[in-house]
Amino acid sequence: MRPIITLTLVGLIAASLLAIVDDMTRNPIALAKAEMKRKAIEQIFPFAIDSLKQVETEKTKFYEAYDKTGTLKGIAVESATTLGYSGKIEILLGVSPAKKIFDYKVVYHLETPGLGDKIDKPRFKEQFRERALEGTTWKVKKDGGDIDELTAATISSRAVTDAVERGLRYINEQYPKHEGK
Amino acid sequence: MPELLLVIVSAVFVNNVVFARFLGICPYLGVSKNLDTAIGMGFAVTFVMTVSTALTYILQKTVLIPFGIEFMQTVMFILVIASLVQLVEIVLKKVSKSLYSSLGIYLPLITTNCAILGMALIAIQEDYDLLTSVVFAFFSAMGFILAIVMFAGIRMKLEEADVPAPFKNVPVGFISAAILSLAFMGFSGLVK
Amino acid sequence: MNEALNILTRGFVRENPVTKMLLGLCPVLAVTTSAINGLGMGLATTFVLLGSNVVISLTAKAIPDTVRIPSFVLVIATFVTIVDLLIKAYSPELNQALGIFIPLIVVNCMILGRAEAFASRSGIWYSMIDAIGMGLGFTLALLVLSAFREILGSGTIFNIPLVGEDVNTILVFALPPGAFAGLGLIIAGLNALEKKKGGK
Repeated sequence: MRPIITLTLVGLIAASLLAIVDDMTRNPIALAKAEMKRKAIEQIFPFAIDSLKQVETEKTKFYEAYDKTGTLKGIAVESATTLGYSGKIEILLGVSPAKKIFDYKVVYHLETPGLGDKIDKPRFKEQFRERALEGTTWKVKKDGGDIDELTAATISSRAVTDAVERGLRYINEQYPKHEGK
Repeated sequence: MPELLLVIVSAVFVNNVVFARFLGICPYLGVSKNLDTAIGMGFAVTFVMTVSTALTYILQKTVLIPFGIEFMQTVMFILVIASLVQLVEIVLKKVSKSLYSSLGIYLPLITTNCAILGMALIAIQEDYDLLTSVVFAFFSAMGFILAIVMFAGIRMKLEEADVPAPFKNVPVGFISAAILSLAFMGFSGLVK
Repeated sequence: MNEALNILTRGFVRENPVTKMLLGLCPVLAVTTSAINGLGMGLATTFVLLGSNVVISLTAKAIPDTVRIPSFVLVIATFVTIVDLLIKAYSPELNQALGIFIPLIVVNCMILGRAEAFASRSGIWYSMIDAIGMGLGFTLALLVLSAFREILGSGTIFNIPLVGEDVNTILVFALPPGAFAGLGLIIAGLNALEKKKGGK
């Protein structure tokens, strides 16, 4: 009997201790998650954000960034593609109210370190700045498009191009009235 | 169906437990000195890994999530694995003496094989359904067998090779593992 | 006091859990792509080792032999979950980098090994010193390997660039094969040093 009682006791103590720690960390974890998202959004916008408004649709999430006066300064959208070299790539794309790209940030990827992961380097990202859905052929140059592919990482470059284009389409669907502003 | 096929190819080759995920390194080095023990260990791992992934999946969906106690995940999963290993040992002892004598010695080692807990956690993380989880676990174990058997073969050859003194035994084992892992990288990009 | 010092320092090099005893290798190989990850993993493991060593040395006598291992595993799993929750709350970046290897500290054979071989038979004071010594030895090994891989593989150290963006680094060290090769080279180097010392 003694072994069973001991083990039950150990289990009970462990469970209650963990319940306490879980309760204590629940809020900080939620805060940390929100903070990380906010930091990522701050990185893709070149202006100071005063408040963020989250809009969720069936397909994705949008974040509207407002400045102090309450003017909409930019919109961020979560976009993803499965065309990566090693699977899924998730990005956070930031555009101006006129739907021109500010920047994007790769949130999740499994691309080859040192080759495919250059999709998150400023040098590659720069060429997306100021581009809009219209007026750009959303393909890499090798496929007859406008985007310079990374040496030795054409597949990763194609994938990011796809993710960015998708993001822009999401924004077009969600914010049709901002067209041509 | 093709999706399941992708999971299989990925588990065996592209994301091989040993060479890409770095799970189960201890038994990989420990029991790969000769081919027979490597295969014995491999089958014991296959059984425990497949069954424990199924059990932990059911546990996660029917107990941990409904009751909101996901923080008990690590504790519950390791308990499931440890009890399963114990159970298998007892049953094996009763049912088949010969199987017990060939697999029995590996069973206690399996509890601390991080590949088992690792697969259970990854299956949850990847949001697989029950069937996919089980297939994933089973073929990950196949990938483990592949790695461990290949390495055992190489190690038996290395015994006779003239290796520089500081590299003897363990270091040369790691260098060979590096070359094997490099070869396995050739599979990346196979799964889209 | 000498005894304590001996217990503390033996984990650093002489009985280093990684390079000498080959324990807990999975996280060693998996998370050492950058120095900061290596350090984070090392310290998280040290915390779990310290907690479980203390609790086990205090309770070992009260636990019957038949359920010794399951009880130890439970204690370790509890501390691992605490670390997991704390890292999620206060260092989400580290949580993202270490991922599944935080819960996998449970099956780090070094921890169960120390509980079995040392903490269950020693007083709380020595168990604590042993945990700190072994934990730091583990952290040291992780730090050396991850610094080696980060410098050669990515050309940075603690994310500080050492070379320009144009310089091609030895990529393979940032990839899985580099983990195996790096550890092999480090152990071979230590062997060679030891031999030299012993020969004199």
